[in-house]
Parts: sequence; structure tokens; C-alpha cells
Amino acid sequence: MSLFFKSPIDIEVLLDGEESRKHVEVANASNNSTAKTLKDRFPVYEDGESVSGIVTLRVKEGRKLEHLGVKVSLIGSVDISKSSSDYKKRPVDTFLSLSADLCPQGELMHSQSFPFSFKDVEKRYDSYRGKNVDVSYYVKVTVLRKSTDVVKFKRFWCLLYNSEPPAPALSKSSDDAKPVKLDIGIENCLHIEFEYSKSQYSLKDVIVGRIYFLLTRLKVKHMELSLVTRETCGLEPNQLSDTTSIRYEIMDGSPVKGETIPIRLFLGGYDLTPNSNFNHFSIRNYLSLVIIDEDGRRYFKQSEIVLYRKRN
Amino acid sequence: MSYAENIEQAISNCRQQTVLMQRCLSQGKLMDALKHTSIMLTELRSPTLSPKQYYELYILIYDSLSILSSYFVECHPKKHHLADLYELVQYAGNILPRLYLMITVGSSYLQSSDAPREEILKDMIEMCKGVQNPIRGLFLRYYLSQRTKPFFETEDPEAKRANISLIVANFIEMNKLWVRLQHQGPLREREQRTRERKELKILVGTNLVRLSQIVESDFAMYRDEILPLVLEQVVQCRDIVSQEYLLDVICQVFPDEFHLGTLSELLSTTLKLSPAAPVNEVVLTLVERLNGYIDRQEHPGPDELAKKLESLDISSESQNVFFVFWKFLNQLNEERPDLSLQEFAPIIKGILKLTLRWYPDNLSNVDVLLKFMYEKCKESGQTVPEDYDYLFQELLLANDLRHDPRFFYQVLTKCESYQKLFRVQNKGLQKFCVNEILDAITHADLRISSETELQKILGVCEVMIEVGAEKASSSLILDEDDGTDAEKWSLNADQEKLAKIAHLCYNKSIEKHTELLIACREWFQKGDKNAKYLYPAVICNIWKLIRKCQLMIKRKPQRREKMSTTIKQLFKLASRTINELYNTCEGGCLDLLYKLNLQTASLADQLELGDIAYDFFSQAFTIFEESLSDSRTQFQAIVNMAQTLQKTRSLYAESSYDTLITRCTLHGSKLLKKQDQCRAVYTCSHLWWATEISLLGEEEGVTDNFFREGKRVLECLQRSLRVADSIMDNVQSCQLMVEILNRCCYYFVHGDENSTHVGTKYINGLIELIKTNLKSLKMEANQGEDSGERFFIGTDGSYIHQSPVNSVSAVYNKPPTSKGNNLASVPIEFFQRTLQYIEDQKDVDERFKAISVGSTS
Repeated sequence: MSLFFKSPIDIEVLLDGEESRKHVEVANASNNSTAKTLKDRFPVYEDGESVSGIVTLRVKEGRKLEHLGVKVSLIGSVDISKSSSDYKKRPVDTFLSLSADLCPQGELMHSQSFPFSFKDVEKRYDSYRGKNVDVSYYVKVTVLRKSTDVVKFKRFWCLLYNSEPPAPALSKSSDDAKPVKLDIGIENCLHIEFEYSKSQYSLKDVIVGRIYFLLTRLKVKHMELSLVTRETCGLEPNQLSDTTSIRYEIMDGSPVKGETIPIRLFLGGYDLTPNSNFNHFSIRNYLSLVIIDEDGRRYFKQSEIVLYRKRN
Repeated sequence: MSYAENIEQAISNCRQQTVLMQRCLSQGKLMDALKHTSIMLTELRSPTLSPKQYYELYILIYDSLSILSSYFVECHPKKHHLADLYELVQYAGNILPRLYLMITVGSSYLQSSDAPREEILKDMIEMCKGVQNPIRGLFLRYYLSQRTKPFFETEDPEAKRANISLIVANFIEMNKLWVRLQHQGPLREREQRTRERKELKILVGTNLVRLSQIVESDFAMYRDEILPLVLEQVVQCRDIVSQEYLLDVICQVFPDEFHLGTLSELLSTTLKLSPAAPVNEVVLTLVERLNGYIDRQEHPGPDELAKKLESLDISSESQNVFFVFWKFLNQLNEERPDLSLQEFAPIIKGILKLTLRWYPDNLSNVDVLLKFMYEKCKESGQTVPEDYDYLFQELLLANDLRHDPRFFYQVLTKCESYQKLFRVQNKGLQKFCVNEILDAITHADLRISSETELQKILGVCEVMIEVGAEKASSSLILDEDDGTDAEKWSLNADQEKLAKIAHLCYNKSIEKHTELLIACREWFQKGDKNAKYLYPAVICNIWKLIRKCQLMIKRKPQRREKMSTTIKQLFKLASRTINELYNTCEGGCLDLLYKLNLQTASLADQLELGDIAYDFFSQAFTIFEESLSDSRTQFQAIVNMAQTLQKTRSLYAESSYDTLITRCTLHGSKLLKKQDQCRAVYTCSHLWWATEISLLGEEEGVTDNFFREGKRVLECLQRSLRVADSIMDNVQSCQLMVEILNRCCYYFVHGDENSTHVGTKYINGLIELIKTNLKSLKMEANQGEDSGERFFIGTDGSYIHQSPVNSVSAVYNKPPTSKGNNLASVPIEFFQRTLQYIEDQKDVDERFKAISVGSTS
């Protein structure tokens, strides 16, 4: 069947210096379970970087193609609820759309290449591929025809670097280096104080802190630190949220009063997502301390941290 | 990742993962190797293993990690940089495998010269805090300690200091975990926990060992930087097992010199231990250690020791080891009034041991310690329960005290407190101790020469002397046999030992010696009935003294006069002592009194003091007449008297000899049983026939003034023959007659027929008489079969049974009942033997030829 519906034209998008560019590997988006381990490779762009390249249109040998014009566009969009079965209904929020014509209406007789360039494109968001939401950037080449257009997408990945941690709304304090201190407890049962060196971390950072046990009547089996990444999208009633987390055991056994347990978690080795927030979609990170007692009950305290990407 | 359910599975898992890890390493796949290691390490997370099993597993894993570690070192930095690896392993999700890996990488990293030593070490120790489970934590930290061991060797004092603080920190954490182990799990498993903890103690102790290796001989560092921290931890953990073990380890692993320098610190720490912790064991360990120090010295003399102490960097006050302990003891007493006597006792004993080793001749130390104990005893008020007697026994009879009997003697006599402490003990214990003390003294070849010393010794023995009161009832029962059954005397070993004291008394001066004996007597008097065991010893020693005087007279004739008065005094003393004995035990020991009198009389006679001898003889007679009632005893007494009298030489004046022997014979003839009468009388016949005593220079044939009256001899023999003849039992009768015949032979041999009046005619007549009497007896004897068993009748009337099987003969007082028939042959055989003797004599003595033996068949 594919023979009949085969596109009459091959479109190839080659970004400038693509081979030498840094790439990221992202788990395959397809829900096909066999393909889960597969990874997609995407070239990486930064904010403000120009995106340029060459579009090559190849016509099948000995055939010609009539078209109403060739257009290239650079699109950034948020795709929510990608997992929803109804592909069409998928709300897409495009936040970036630049386009340029490559070629006026005419007829393609043989293969032809068109260079294109978007200068200093401002990219506001990180690329992201989550369970419910994708933030994606791509170059879209459209060959307009009388019948169906021939379209080719070329995805690339965008990473935003902050030299300074952002001052997001959630952190009211202006002093970012101030350690986070929390004092929690269950009356007459457990009372701990914990402290992280700061509330904002770059992705290669190390979370350092300590937990101080003021009172323990609990038979603690072990204690974990989990780093929870939560993506939220949609508006209140139909809000969708999903979390992924890293579990990291930091204590084994039951401490006594006065014991201090060190926390040290290297973030660099994990595939984390920096915080981001726009319209109906946000990604937040939480650091959660979980105490599991000998009867398997879990006690936890969650506190939000901000992750950001920093150029190293 | 999960762990295996049981140890076998865990071990096989570990082995398997080790193999996989090695394979990956050889292929250079580091990440895979780490993954396998991590799976292996997961086994260590198992909470179901007992400490022993855990240890087994740990050893296995330790070896595997060593392989990994050497790979790390080899390939650094060619294939990887250990600093990166150090970060890499931190991503392990579970803390335990993570930390093991971290330590493995960290310690490997330490081997390269560019490693940031301090940071790594600190970091590793800090991160170990994450494991709060006691067993897992202990092993993890032990692993850390084992791995980092080689990196702590340094000469630089600064580095040394840093290392020490790291190890101490690790030690403190380990100890905390160790203590916590006790409080885990249900209460009913507490004892099992304690047991498990003891299995694990070596893990904690290793740290102290390591410290001792690092500190080497740097005393100042030990004193200022190690000991205070360690001791503080010991005090703070408030756990008995831990306190006991740690203090023990401290005492064991650090050098003696250190302990000498920090003695007061160590001791004052024991004051702060939890109330249930055994202070005494700590003190004892220290004492052992310090005593061992002396043993380890090349020149253990006190001077060398003092010099050595001075050379150490310690205050002069603490150079006196005993003083430090003494101060501690007082402090302990003040701060821990809850400590019971039973807890103090071992401490005191320990310190005693110490002082005896360090200051072997210092009595005042001993005194002060015992005094302390005495005061404690008094404070406690009520008597010490008997269960704890052993404590005091150990104290009072400490081996170290008894080690040198002379010193022990000094303690006994010079230490006031020993006496006091001794007196407050239970009677039973006191007795036991007295026994031991007496043994020690008597075996030590000591002489008690001063009265005060004697008083002290006897004071200690008081309890033994005075028990007479309670034993009286039992000894009364014995009284009846006392006279006859000599064996009963040796039964009371305690009294025998006491009596030995009298023999130990010795002083060159006779007067002083006498005083000693009098003192003994006074003490023995308190023994009441028991005096009969004790007085003879005193009297015996008085005799000895008298003999000594006699010797001195011989040697220095010029002092004769003074000496003779002394001798007289001594006899008076003897007499008084005997009387006192008589008064105290009245019926208890008459036979003894009788014999003592006789013996004294004999002694007086030998010194040619006729009057005195007479006096004692008359005393003896008085006792005989008034009190000796048992027939057997009476007979023995007569024989005894006759023996003694026969040898006297000084009584002839004023015919006192005559009086005495007549009285003796008279008593003999008045005995109740006829056979006794008979035997007594023929024995008494010898009283008229004095024989030579070569010691006195007498010689048969040369000396011509022997007291001899043949007529009286014959009279006696005839008298006894009459008695023998009148006895109804013809076996007895014949036996006695043969005995008389023997007597006759004796006189016939030794005397002229004219002077003895015992002639051939008389003997022939006697033989005839016996033969006639034997005829009827022979008939009886023939009926009996000869079973090979033989009986004899002794000259004191006892029956002697000789069996052919047994070489030992048995002696009975009553005739054997079952073998009645055989008895008839006894006098017959006896007669045969006597006749045979006469026949034999014919060859040497012409005179015997006149005796007609006749046909014996």
C-alpha cells in the first residue's frame, strides 16, 4: 500500500554542522513497548542561536512535480496530552512560529537544494518530552500542492542555560544561597530537623544537607530521599499531572536522639528536567524525605527545589 | 535489589557475583563489574543474619572487594580516574552498597600520592553515619577501619593528630552502635543480644588497637588527645558491657608506662561508670597489668622501678602507685555509697595484690587497706552473709599474702587491722582461715619468739580455741572412750594444729620461753574441754625446757644453782598446768592426766629430784584411785606405772620407792578381772628386780647396788599363779600360767637362783601343773579342724587373729565368737613354744638342763 501513497517527493532537511553538533538522546516517544528502549538523537540548540541549513528536495527519477511553493518554518510548540488516543484533538499550543518561503510556485524537475536560515531565534522554553506533554522544536518544510501538501519535520532539541539561577515566583526570598531548613515531626513520636544547603540547584549540582534527629520513638527501617519531577498541564478541572522520581537511600537503620545523618546527592548522573512554567504547563521539582518504619508505614515531607541548567 | 533468605544462599550469591565481577574486570568492563559488586554487597543488607553469619559473609566480601580495589589502583589513572569513580559510586541507590563501594574506591584512591587524603578520609567517616543499623553499621565502620589502616602510618605529628581524631571519631560512632544493639528487638531476647554483642566486641576494640599502633610511644599525645576522648565515650555510653570491655582493652593495648602516667585518670573514670558496671574488674585488670609491668622489667628491683618512674613524664604524686590507688579507694567510698561490701572486697584484694608486688615490704600499706575494709564491715552493721565469705577468705588468705610465710607472719602479728577484720567475720570462715593460717605458719619453719606476737597469733586463733563451748556436747560422748581409744585423739585436726603453736614458741632465754608457754596456756584455757588437746603440747614443751636447763647445767656447772631454781619453777609450772587441765576437763581425760603425771615424775627422777618425782607419782596414784574406773584403763595404768617406777633411781631415800611399788602392786592385785590381776601382779614383780640402764652407767654384774628383792618377786609370781589357777575359763587359765612360766624363765635367766628364789624346782612344778591343766584342753583342741587361721592371746589380754591370706593381723578385745574351738589350741601352742625355748636354752645355759621338759606329745 505504501507504494501507492508513497510521497512523490523526498524532502531532506540538513542543519548546518549537524554532525558536529552536540546531540541529546531522548527516550523514544512512541508508546510501542518494543521501541521503548530505543532512543532518539537530536541536535542541540541554545536560546538565541541561529538555525540554518539546507533543504533538499528530491524528485523521483524521470518525474516532475508541480507545486504551489515551498515554505520552511521554525516552530516551537507544546503538545499536551499526547497520550490521548484522539490524535486530532490534541491541543497544541504553538509559542514560536517563524517561516520563510524557499521557492515560488512552479515545477520541480529534478532535485534541488535551498538553504535557509533563521537568525538569532529566541527560544523561550526547554525542549521536553514527558508523559503527557511534549515541548518540541522543529523545522517544518512544506511543499504546497493542489492536493495534499508534502510536509517534512526536522526536530531539534533546545536547551536553555542560565548563568544565574532564575528568580522564580515560588522562591520569595531573594537570597538564593540561603539554606533550606525545615523542622517537622509527629508529636511525641518523631521530631527531625533537616537542612539543605540551598533551594536552587543546577543540574550538575550536588544536594548537600543533613538531617538532625531531635526525637525518635519510631522504629525507622530506612530513610530515603526522593527527587520528584512533576509535570502539570491543563486547567484546573482537567488538569493532568504526572511525576517521575529518583529514590536514593540515605539512611539504614534506626537512629537515636541527637544523631545527624548526612545527605549528599549528586544530581549530575541523573536525567533531570529543569523547572519551567508557562501557560497551562509547568514542570516542578520536589525534594522529598521519606521515612519508612519497620511496619512499612511511610512518613514524608516534601519541599520544592528549583533546578536549572547551567553552562559548565 | 533484594538479599538472599539464608546464609548459604547469600554466600553462594556472593561467590557467583565475585566470579562475574572478575570476569568483567578482565574484560575491562568496569561498569558491569561495579554492578556485580553492588549486587553482591546487597547481601550485606540482610537483616536476618546473626552476627556470626554476618561476619562470615563480611569476610567473603572483604576478599572480593580487595580484588576490586587492586584493579582500581592498577588502572588509575590510565583507564579511569579514581576521583571520578569516587563520584560515580555515589549513585548507588542503596546506602550500604554505596558506602562499601565508596570506601573501596576511596581507600584505593588514597594509595595514589596526589589524593586529597584528609578530605577523603573525613568524607568517608562522615558518610558512614548514614548507616544507623547497629550490626551493619559496625561492620561498615570496621571495613573502613580495615581499609584505611595502611594510611595512618605517619611520622608527622600533625598528620598523626589528624589521624587520631579520625580514628577516635570512628571509635565513638562504633561504640554507640554497639551499645544500641543492646536495645534492639524484644525485651526477652536481651540476653541473646548481650551474647551477640560480646561476639562483636572485637570490631570496636580494633579501633583502640589501631590507636595504640599510631600513638606508638608518644605519651603526651596519648594523655592529652586520646585518653580523655575515649574515656569520655566510655563514661557516656552508660553501658555495662561496653564499659567493662573498653576499659579492659584500654588496659591491655596501651603500654604500661602510659598507664602509670594516667593511673589517676583511669581510676577516676571508673568512678563515673554506670552503677552496675563492675568497678572491681577494671581495677583488677589494672593491677594485673601493673604487676605484669614489674615482671617485664629487666631489673625489677625497687630502686630501678623508682628510677624508671621518675623518668616517666608524670607528677611525683602519682609515682607512688599505691597512693594513687588509695586515693581512688577513698574517693570511691565517698562517691559510691551504694557499693556493697562484696564489691569492695575484690577491689581491696586487687590493691593489696598491687602493693604487695610493688612495695613488698610495706606493712603499713597492707594495714591501711585492711583497716579500710574493717571500717566498711563495721559500717554495714549486720554480719556479712555467709555467701560472701569467700570474698573475705580471698582477702584474708590472699595468695600474695601467704606467698611469703614470713611476711604473712608479719602481717598477722603487726597489722592491727588484720586482727580486727578477722574478728568481724563469721565463725565458720574464721575457723577455716585459722586452719589455713596455722598450716602456713607451721609449715614455714617459723619461731614465735616474742610474747606480743604470740598474743596476736593466738588472738587470731581465738575462734578456734573457743569453739569448745559448742562442741562440748559431742566431746562428752567421746569422753567415755577417751581413756582407752587412743585413735579418737587424732580426730580433731583443728586442735592438733592449734597445739602446734605451743611447739612453735621459742626464745633463747628460758624465762622468756616460759612466759610464752604461759601465754599459750592462758589462751588454751579458754578452750575449755578442748584443753585436753592443747595442754599436752604445753606440758611437753615445759619438759623440753627442763631438759634444756639440765643441758645448761652440764655445760656450765657454775650456773647450777640458778638453774636448779628454774627447774623447780618449771616443775611447779608443769604441776599447775596438769592441775588446771584436771580442773577444766575433770572426767574428760583422766588417763591423759595420769600419763602426764607419770611422765613428769619420770623426768624429775631422771634429774635426781626425788621429792618432786614422788609428788608426781602420788598425784598419779590419786588420779588412779579417785577417778580411773574402767577396768581396762586401770590395768593399762598399772602396767604404765610399773614401767615408770621400775626405771626410777632417785626415790630410794626415805623408802618412798618402797611405798610406791607396794601401792602399785596392791592396786594391781585388786583389779576387777582375774586375768588383769594376774598379769598386773606378775608385771609388778619386776618392781623388785631393777635392771641396768646403760645410759646411767649401770651394768649388770658391775653395778652392785641394784634394788633387788627375790623373795618379793617370787611372792608376786606365786600370787599371780594362784589367781591364774582360780580362773574358771581354762583357756585363759592355761594361757596365764604359760605367761607366768615365761616370766619365771626370765628371772631364771637373769638372776641367781639364790637371790630370785625362782629355781628349777619351781619351774618344773609349774610345767607339770600346766601339763595337767592342758590335758582336758587338748581334747577340745583335737576336735577342731585346722583351718589355717591362727589366734594368739597378747600379754594385755587381747586376741590376735592371723589369717593365712592376710599378712596383717587383727586385734580384738573380745574373744572371736565363730572360731571358738580354735581358741583351745592357743595356750597349747604357746606352751609348746615356751618348752621349745627352754630346750634351746639348754645348749647355752647349763642350769636349764635341770629343768625337765618331759614329753611334749
